[in-house]
Amino acid sequence: MSKSYRDGLPISPENFVDQLMRLKRGSIGRRDFLGLTGLGIATAVMAREIGIMPTPAFAAESLGDRMSIATWPNYHDPATFENFKKDTGVAVEVNVFGSNEEMLAKLQAGASGWSLFVPTNYTISTYKKLGIIEPLEMAKLPNFDGSQEDPRFTGEGTIEGVTYAVPKNWGTTGFAVNTKKLTKPMTSWKEFWDTAMAEGDSRTMVHDYQLTTIGNALKYYGYSFNSLKQDELAKAEELLLKVKPHLFAVSSDYQPGMRAGDAWMTMCWTNDGAQLHRDIPEIAYVLGKEGGEIWTDFYAIPKDAPNKPAGYALLNYLMNPQVAVKEHLANGAPSTDARVNKLLPKEVLDNPILYPAADLLTPLEFGAAATLTDPGRAELMARFKSA
Amino acid sequence: MLLGPATAWLVVFLVLPFIAIAVFSVGERAPEGGYQAAFTFAQYANLPARATAFWNTMVLAPIGALACLLVAYPVAYYLALRAPQRWRLILLALVVIPFWTSLLMRTYAWMYVLGGRGIPALLAYIGFEDVRLINTPGAVLLGIVYGYLPLMILPIYVSLERLDRRLLEASADLGATPLSTFLSVTLKLSLPGVMTGFSLVMILLLGEYLIPTLLGGGKVFFIGNALVDLFLQSRNWPFGSAIAITLVLVSVVVLIAANRISTRVSGARRVDLI
Amino acid sequence: MTAVPDIEFRGVTKRYGAVTAVSGIDLAVPPSAFVALLGPSGCGKTTCLRMIGGFEQPSEGQVFIRGQDMAGTPPYRRPVNMVFQQYALFPHLDVEDNVAYGLRQARPRLSSREIASRAGEALEMVRLAGYGRRKIHELSGGQQQRVALARALVNKPAVLLLDEPLAALDKKLRIDMQIELQNLQREIGITFVLVTHDQEEALSMSDFVCVMNGGRIVQLGQPSEIYDEPADLFVADFVGKTNLLSGTVAGHMGDLVEVALADGTVIAARKRTALQQGEAVSVSLRPESLSLGAPGSGRFKGIVRNRIFLGSTAEYAIEVQGIGTLLAKADHLIGHGNLFKPGEPVAIGFASGTPLAFPETKNNGTNQRVDKHVEIIS
Repeated sequence: MSKSYRDGLPISPENFVDQLMRLKRGSIGRRDFLGLTGLGIATAVMAREIGIMPTPAFAAESLGDRMSIATWPNYHDPATFENFKKDTGVAVEVNVFGSNEEMLAKLQAGASGWSLFVPTNYTISTYKKLGIIEPLEMAKLPNFDGSQEDPRFTGEGTIEGVTYAVPKNWGTTGFAVNTKKLTKPMTSWKEFWDTAMAEGDSRTMVHDYQLTTIGNALKYYGYSFNSLKQDELAKAEELLLKVKPHLFAVSSDYQPGMRAGDAWMTMCWTNDGAQLHRDIPEIAYVLGKEGGEIWTDFYAIPKDAPNKPAGYALLNYLMNPQVAVKEHLANGAPSTDARVNKLLPKEVLDNPILYPAADLLTPLEFGAAATLTDPGRAELMARFKSA
Repeated sequence: MLLGPATAWLVVFLVLPFIAIAVFSVGERAPEGGYQAAFTFAQYANLPARATAFWNTMVLAPIGALACLLVAYPVAYYLALRAPQRWRLILLALVVIPFWTSLLMRTYAWMYVLGGRGIPALLAYIGFEDVRLINTPGAVLLGIVYGYLPLMILPIYVSLERLDRRLLEASADLGATPLSTFLSVTLKLSLPGVMTGFSLVMILLLGEYLIPTLLGGGKVFFIGNALVDLFLQSRNWPFGSAIAITLVLVSVVVLIAANRISTRVSGARRVDLI
Repeated sequence: MTAVPDIEFRGVTKRYGAVTAVSGIDLAVPPSAFVALLGPSGCGKTTCLRMIGGFEQPSEGQVFIRGQDMAGTPPYRRPVNMVFQQYALFPHLDVEDNVAYGLRQARPRLSSREIASRAGEALEMVRLAGYGRRKIHELSGGQQQRVALARALVNKPAVLLLDEPLAALDKKLRIDMQIELQNLQREIGITFVLVTHDQEEALSMSDFVCVMNGGRIVQLGQPSEIYDEPADLFVADFVGKTNLLSGTVAGHMGDLVEVALADGTVIAARKRTALQQGEAVSVSLRPESLSLGAPGSGRFKGIVRNRIFLGSTAEYAIEVQGIGTLLAKADHLIGHGNLFKPGEPVAIGFASGTPLAFPETKNNGTNQRVDKHVEIIS
């Protein structure tokens, strides 16, 4: 292969904007700071639709003409909202966020203005406890069919028999490896951490997120991903502090580093892994055989939603398998809905990154609310980051 | 009468938030995160838990400001004393124009320039494989110097521009070599500008987290990072508030010290740009 | 031949782009002289001074200091020091550190004791002992002036350059400083080169005055010479007060020339250059060479319009029919004994030989430079 120095040089303006848009669209981890710094929101707002289309008469009185959704960067097919607007006349304003905590903070502060949002499984109980989400009126969601949902992923949306949230899609947290640079096959978190201190020295990234970074360090010793036990956390801390000087970065924005070849290995969420592998085949996505995290993102409606009818209407629209399948093709995360899976092309269903073998899924744990809000783990993370 | 709006402005935008944060700082973290009312100095007692962050910041801020100064001074000197008059405005504008773009965008640009497909790709082309520039202390320093350069150049430029040229002639006349003149006249009399720029950049650096995160890989933990984490991740608002209050106090100390130094050395008051 | 001049200009021209500031200057300043460069603003005098100091380089020609060609020698290597306009004292240093500034630049380094003692002496010399720790902005204009002097003199320069040193002072202080500077120069015995636009200052302080106009030296001589024997109309007009009377050359009378004035009066005047019959001339008559008397005597008849009482003397503005207003200065204690009052008729006389006739050309100073070198007059 002939090599020009221009190969892969991103410095031309079009190229840079291209990269930036890609970053914005998908390669950026949803838990990173982008939303926080405002770039995400700014680009979403720039792209938001202005109501020019005539409003169909049937929806006009009850739905209003606009609503707002809080979600993650590159989590939807833009056509979805355009089509929704064509059907109902309601323009959707998309707010993208960097982390669940940030979403929580905004909603807790009140007057968020959202009529629909996308929390992750382990936050739903906290929202319910704080009384800031609406019990869903299932009658308004005829497109939702609980019997078609994989019960493994739906559980946390329902608290004491009341459904507060319905699942959007699920995913796992594993790690991505550039197999050209790190040729030794890896299958476990133990290998991840050991390689980070050996062949992967100064080329490895971990999340800037205590849930996964501490959780996956606990997995080195075979402890629970959600462990809050002092002695277990102390072991995890010891490992993290030992690895720290060998790391390339502590960042949830790992796609640019992996794509540029600066980083060779990183903790990674399913959809990012799928995207990286799609574009750069030598990047593999590995689930640690010890286990790790499995997660589900849900749709929920805030109690103070300014336009609940539109919120329900959009949620119902998104639950339509024909619509949902396009969503899943756009963002790459696996669906919880059997009806959607039937519509997905075979190569997607056969993609082990998206639909791993059952034996790999078995040991995975859902993150717990207590894990996320535990002050001890927050302090541990701070010590790790400041080491 | 004129004091009215100014006072209101100060109260609304400075005093009230400060009081809010001070109140938060003596409170407690609610079990789900956030704030719950209390009166305790536990948060302040806990400050040593972020000692490393303070230490890193206290090292980064002066070093970053110093690096900025070393680059900015020759530029300001050239602009104020050497550049042809008709070019001066254009050159000054060139210094300021990058500021019209957000720091985030500009730092992202550096991420690509320093990243594997930027300069390292060029180096690989001429035979140096696998050179890593991004996520190094050098990259952070470069980002800081680049990001804050105009803030350093402008006040120095102003004080050099005001400098009475006859003083330089007087110095030369009295036998001082150009170097000696620079050290004992130019530099000393531009010190108010230097201190203004230095304290401005340093104070902003005390709260900086974006550049170390993007160009340093988030491996070095600064006060800014600690604050972001405490407010937006673990949502420990009272502890975050205590750190913020401490940071404000440190900034005030820095400002006062800078003012003292420049007053003592130059015998003049500092250039007030803020 | 005289000793090597302290300062010498040889064919010095200075151009700024298309503008010629100084053109073809030749000048030699002998040792221990007090020389004033006098002229209106823009005449090139400051440029000359700055070329001595090394702040400007001649476009053509050479500047010598004590026989050394200064081409390429930067200011800090020249054995001259300058008192700058508005002094240019260092605001960040106190009085003593300002004065010691030059001493601290000396290589090999001077001991701090020597620096302190020499700075102290310099301050004493300008009568500022005890002011060493004062801040510059705490000093009056006159005190700042002395600091500037001490700062320049402490280095024991071969030549002291003074750029309008008294311009910022009020009149009384200015006169005191004139005397002080003169004494200082005599005491130290080094050459002072003073740039000024104030002819009174130039005449009262210096041994030699070099009158400049349009980038050229118009006249060079002792103050009395400049005053009594101005080389041309410009000098006559610029230096001191004078009455200029227009007329035409009516005839020659030995060395003198007969000039017919506007009112028909013919007076005999001395001349500096050859004058043609019928040539338009201006006749200069100094106010003090006019004498006033009772009507009936004298050359002109006039009426007193204004009287300015000056103590020992008085100045009169006298209107003379057909000539205009003449300025006369009279010592009222002798002569007539009485003061004339406004409105009073008066006769004006002057000693023959005091009027001086100049051709009324506009291009003064081109061909009329008479004395080029100090040697000629010294």
